[in-house]
Parts: sequence; structure tokens; C-alpha cells
Amino acid sequence: MATKLKSKKKIDQKRERGGAEPKYYEVFARKDSHSDLSHVGSVEAPNDELAQVRAWYIYDQHKWREMCVVPLESIITVTEEGKSAKIKMG
Amino acid sequence: MAYTPGNPGTKLDKNFENDLLAIADTKLVLGNWYAECVMNGRSLPDFAAILGMCTANYGHTRAIYQYLAAHGHDYDHLERGRGPEEMCSANLLDEAPSGWEDFIVSTWLTELSTWMMASGFLNHEDRAVAGIAKKIGQETYFHLKYSQGWFQIIGEGKKQTSLFQKAYAHRFPLALQWFGPARGKDTVHDAGIRDVPLKKLRDAFIKEAAGAEKLLGADLTQEKSIKFADDWRGDARRFGAMPDGLFEVVRFKDAELAH
Repeated sequence: MATKLKSKKKIDQKRERGGAEPKYYEVFARKDSHSDLSHVGSVEAPNDELAQVRAWYIYDQHKWREMCVVPLESIITVTEEGKSAKIKMG
Repeated sequence: MAYTPGNPGTKLDKNFENDLLAIADTKLVLGNWYAECVMNGRSLPDFAAILGMCTANYGHTRAIYQYLAAHGHDYDHLERGRGPEEMCSANLLDEAPSGWEDFIVSTWLTELSTWMMASGFLNHEDRAVAGIAKKIGQETYFHLKYSQGWFQIIGEGKKQTSLFQKAYAHRFPLALQWFGPARGKDTVHDAGIRDVPLKKLRDAFIKEAAGAEKLLGADLTQEKSIKFADDWRGDARRFGAMPDGLFEVVRFKDAELAH
């Protein structure tokens, strides 16, 4: 018999996502000072602090020398001016 | 890579050992808090972050246990041989979180207080101790940032802010209590083992803990008058024994599967 839960996890999607729509950050990192800064992935986060932490723990496949996150909305397209950026993994 | 302590075999100062155990055991419980609460994370990236903080804290605990084992203690006893009355974790984590806001407040205060205490050993003469303290600092940087990210989100909700304030009023005195009586003896500093006086670490903790107000955007109450009754265990930095229910959660299980 299924157990009826007394209370559900209450998540205010709008507030906890940082807005009506999910907010994304692109993650860049380099392994050492000789390596290029490369795109390693993206994370969803409501603010810069959580984006930094989530990126650090999700993309932990290397002991990165440097990592940074960029809000997707801050990326200005050049070749496809006026369209939203479409960042893809290599 | 194998852990290599600085001066293996030498006997450590008893009060210094107590401080290390208090940090290690508190981080053991903190790691278990993260493990138990991971599914309360708000999204898939949150699960990864909480699990990362969980394993980091377990790592700090084990590094300290190994250091103590290199100085005359039995590792198996430290990790799996002690009963609830021997555990030295902070009272701050005895009571399970009542909700998400309480979880954020409690884990943040624990991360902050244990880091403050560990930072007192950054210049320890044994490089192994200084190295553990440095590593704790590097990893706690992200753990504190996680909390700070959540302060901002919680601060956007009126009800959530109220729950945060309530949790903070309840948990802050328990966190401060961990540093011991304000005018108590500071034997580890007096012996020259910790180059920072405990009072200075305690004051820094109070100041940092007040910093949440700005990110939350609301006032917080800091109750600083802590009553230390007769059952205060100065060596364990806590009152009484670890509650049985919590001990059942944190005790080492299935040792045969661990190696």
C-alpha cells in the first residue's frame, strides 16, 4: 500500500530558479596554465554564487587550474547577430 | 596518494587532539546531514553540489582520523569503535533540520565554525596539520558560497526569510557554544600549538555569521550569552552524549563493504 506523505517538498520555481525562465551559465575551464580556456558545459542556477558552486561540483572530472562561469544572457553573438547563442560541446 | 604525516609516532598534546577530534566528528555529522538531505536539493545541479560537499566533509574527517592514527590512536576505533557518548560532534547538528531554511542555516554555521577552528592551525609546525587546515579552507570556500547563494534566494521570500531568522536564532547559540566559554582557558594556544587565540577565532566567527544579514536583506538575532552547565564536556566541545537516533545515522556501517 502506498504511503501518503504528510507534506510535499515545496519549491517556488520562479524564485528558486531566479525568474520565470531557467537561468543558464556557460562553464569554461583550463587544466593548467599552458592549456586554453575551454568550454566544458553549462549549468542552471538562480544566481552567480550557486552557478559557481554547481559548476565546480558538476564538472569535477579534472583538477582544474582555472574555472569561470558566464551568464548565457551576457554572450553577444557575432556571426548570428540578433539570435540567442547556441553553445555546443566539441 | 598515500597520506604521510609530518612526525609520525610522536604523542600529541591531549587538548590539541580534542580540538582535532571535535572538528573531525562535527564534519562526520555534517557529511551525513548532506547525505541524508541530498534529495531535498532543488534541482539536479543542487544534488551534485550537496553530494560534493558531503564527500569533502567525509574526506576532512578521515584525514584528521588518519593523522591521529599516525600519532598513537587506533583508526578503526576512531572511525567505527566509539559509542555515542564518545563522539565529539557539535550540539548544533544534534537536531535534524526542520526545513530547507534550517538546513541552509545549520550547514552554513557548521561549515563556518569548523573552518574558523581549523584556520587556527594553518601555521602549525607540522606540515601535515597545516596542509589539512589549508585543504579544509580551500574546499569550505565553495561550501560557504553555496550557502551565500541560497541566502539571496531565501531573502526574496517573506515567509522563507522568517523561517531563516527563526532557524538562525535557534542555531547560532549552539554554534557559538562550540567555541566554549568566552573567558575559558585556551590551553592549545597557551601551549603554542595554535598561534591564534580561541577568542580571536570566536570573534571572527561572530562577525562572519552576522554577514548573512546583508545577503538575506533582513535582521538576524545573535544570542551570545551561552550558559555552560555542569554537564558541559569541554574536551568534546558539547553537552552530553550524541543522541541515539543521530548516532544510528552516522555510525560506520558495513565495514566489509568499505574496502
